[in-house]
Amino acid sequence: MSSTRTRTAGRRAGRGLPLWLSPKALGIFVVALVALYLAPLVLSLDGYLHNVVGLTFMFMAAGLAWNWLGGYVGQISFGHAAMFGTGGFVAARLAITFGLPFWLTWVVGGLVAGLYALIWGHPTLRLRGPYFSIATIGVGEATRLVATYWSDFTGGSSGLSLPIGNGPTKYELYWYGLYLLAAVVAISYWLRKSRIGLGLLAIKEDVEAAADVGVNATLYQDAVLFLSGFVVGICGGFYASYQAFIDPLDMFSFDRSISFVLIGVIGGIGTILGPAMGAIVFVVIQEFLLASYPQLYLGLYGTLLIIVILFEPLGLSGLLLRLGKRLGRKPPASTAAGGMGSASADPDGAPPVLTGVPGQDDSKGGTSA
Amino acid sequence: MNGHVSQSRIVRAGVLAAASVLAMTACAPSQSPSSSGSGSSEVPGTIVIGATLPLTGAESKTGGRYKQGYELAVEEVNNAGGIDIGGKKVKVELKLLDDTSDQAKAVNLAQRLITSDNVNAFLGTYSTSLVEAQSTVAEQSQIPYVNGGGAATSIYGKGYKWVFGDLAPVENLATTEMEWIDEQQKAGKLPKPAKIAVVWENTSHGEDFRKGIQEFADASGGAYDIVVDESFALNSNDFSAVLNKVEAANADMFMVDAHVPDFITMQRQYLSSGMCNKLVTYGARGTEADAQAALGQEGVNYILSAVWWNSQLGDEGLNKQFIDDYKKKYDAEPEWYQAVSYEAARALFTAMDNADSVDKTKVRDELSSMEMESILPGGKLSFPADKGGQASYPFVVQQNLPDGTSPIIYPADVATGEGVTPNPNCAG
Repeated sequence: MSSTRTRTAGRRAGRGLPLWLSPKALGIFVVALVALYLAPLVLSLDGYLHNVVGLTFMFMAAGLAWNWLGGYVGQISFGHAAMFGTGGFVAARLAITFGLPFWLTWVVGGLVAGLYALIWGHPTLRLRGPYFSIATIGVGEATRLVATYWSDFTGGSSGLSLPIGNGPTKYELYWYGLYLLAAVVAISYWLRKSRIGLGLLAIKEDVEAAADVGVNATLYQDAVLFLSGFVVGICGGFYASYQAFIDPLDMFSFDRSISFVLIGVIGGIGTILGPAMGAIVFVVIQEFLLASYPQLYLGLYGTLLIIVILFEPLGLSGLLLRLGKRLGRKPPASTAAGGMGSASADPDGAPPVLTGVPGQDDSKGGTSA
Repeated sequence: MNGHVSQSRIVRAGVLAAASVLAMTACAPSQSPSSSGSGSSEVPGTIVIGATLPLTGAESKTGGRYKQGYELAVEEVNNAGGIDIGGKKVKVELKLLDDTSDQAKAVNLAQRLITSDNVNAFLGTYSTSLVEAQSTVAEQSQIPYVNGGGAATSIYGKGYKWVFGDLAPVENLATTEMEWIDEQQKAGKLPKPAKIAVVWENTSHGEDFRKGIQEFADASGGAYDIVVDESFALNSNDFSAVLNKVEAANADMFMVDAHVPDFITMQRQYLSSGMCNKLVTYGARGTEADAQAALGQEGVNYILSAVWWNSQLGDEGLNKQFIDDYKKKYDAEPEWYQAVSYEAARALFTAMDNADSVDKTKVRDELSSMEMESILPGGKLSFPADKGGQASYPFVVQQNLPDGTSPIIYPADVATGEGVTPNPNCAG
């Protein structure tokens, strides 16, 4: 094991890539990005489908960002709508009141959302497991109530309509969604494969033990929560631009928080491909059942959740892995690469290459299964 | 050392990634060329009208009434052969989806109907906050949007060119109620100055109502004193805090703007806490059959309401025809909900007929300039551009009486009964 490590590390360093980045993953990433960038220009999709794909990118990004906390650190948040809404409303306010360019409103909205996450997250992240989750429910609901009554800022129950013609059109949002997703996938991969990823995994397994080997749990968790809140906040801004309208009931609702959890759980917590696939399932169910059976889709999510938790805790990505094994082939590289927890059987899925954390043992990551 | 090298690489890679993301942000392929309305000047096989309504969720009962209004109008126009476009009668098909009383869904479904189903025009959903959300989609997609569910002036104050509403502003609703109240005060039936508690839902609907009362009180020279001014969130389930304030302030008049679900909840809590004010109104609510069923006749007695239409308005002409047709189809008495939705649909069909086309721009232009014979008070319906496409006509004030009737009590020229104030049930 350790000789393999040195060999691959040396090889990658020789090619000028960071140690955590495998050329194969980079290749897949670039090809996928280019393909998705060109797809609408070549295929000429139906306008509605084109928009929905753009929205799916956003949900993928949000699901992945939720997963940094829920999957990598193991702190399941039921309150991410608080940051989604904060980012969305800050962005909308800035666009309406100051007429700032949309990308700036998204970034500022994301920053405010990230800071807001830190404000409640720094104290509550000391809680673990269900206690943390319950705290996040409280935060989410409290934020919703404040936002609903803060009419000057959020427009109250009426919400806010964005000025028409200022931001990008829905057609253009496809590509902005793609860039957002690409950045988030890159960060996910980096978080997962770099030294930080090991630290997060250690925290997930045992906070005290992690502290013993020199992992600053508070700093790591705060940083991940900030990053997660930042990205989900940007997603809120994107959503506001997409809908051209936002209201507190929708942005801050418990349903919204649950949807991020659903995306993660259906796809597979702790993986990269998982939340991405989860987002597709989520959007497909939402968009295509919404019109014909508006009440049914909630029940469907519930059923899916029960099935996933009972039979395949790693969700769709776990299913893919199993399928891959059954067919006697190696699973797709990205599943294995992103798979935290279950993928340890596969050499590529082993914990990331150590980059000089003294005293940390390789076997630490192996315990996650 | 190895650690340092790799760390600087990480930083470098991060910076590179961030820079490339920023660079990409600056560019996105612009509007697809294929999406502009082509071939709209031709005569279509059928005219497809998109619509969403709250058929489930908090406003499901009202949504059902709007559906009846839309469907009756569609049935009538199709029974007459359809709309006359270029000498050919074209039938109308209504594509109606359920937005479950949810703003985001109303927006989503409208986008879907407009971009995927390519509807020719759109009939709006119900309740101001949903219409406010949805109208933005219509404006963005440049499609004629006629609604009978959005009454707040803020919808029509945004400079939109494609949005038309046949509900007169809520501000006028409040003012009309105050005019009747003022007559009663002058007749000595209400104290002077009268203490008003204004409680409003924190939507643009509620803000309009509050504005109407506030401006009337300000202009009255001290005849009215607003002692409570509180808002509440849409679809709340606990009003005890607000009601306590109203009780503590010892208000003479309890004036609320609420939609049906909040009205029923609040009135139930009002009654169970034993409150009684000389005058109670919930804006446009109070005469609904649902309210009577939920609260009982005792629970709705003497509630004052101002509405956009009432079946007592006329037994002749268009009104008689509408009431008869409605009764024939649904075997019930129409309320204002069905009337305004029916008129919204009829206005859209009339505009298409007048424009002799389903071309979106032509229909839009026709809507903004036409004046149509109408069942609404005043007998004429138009969407004046100086009001942003919102119709304007007088309200009718009604009051629920213990015998189960709700006569029109104001304005005098259409009144069918006498109003009662102060509430004789309040011991004093």
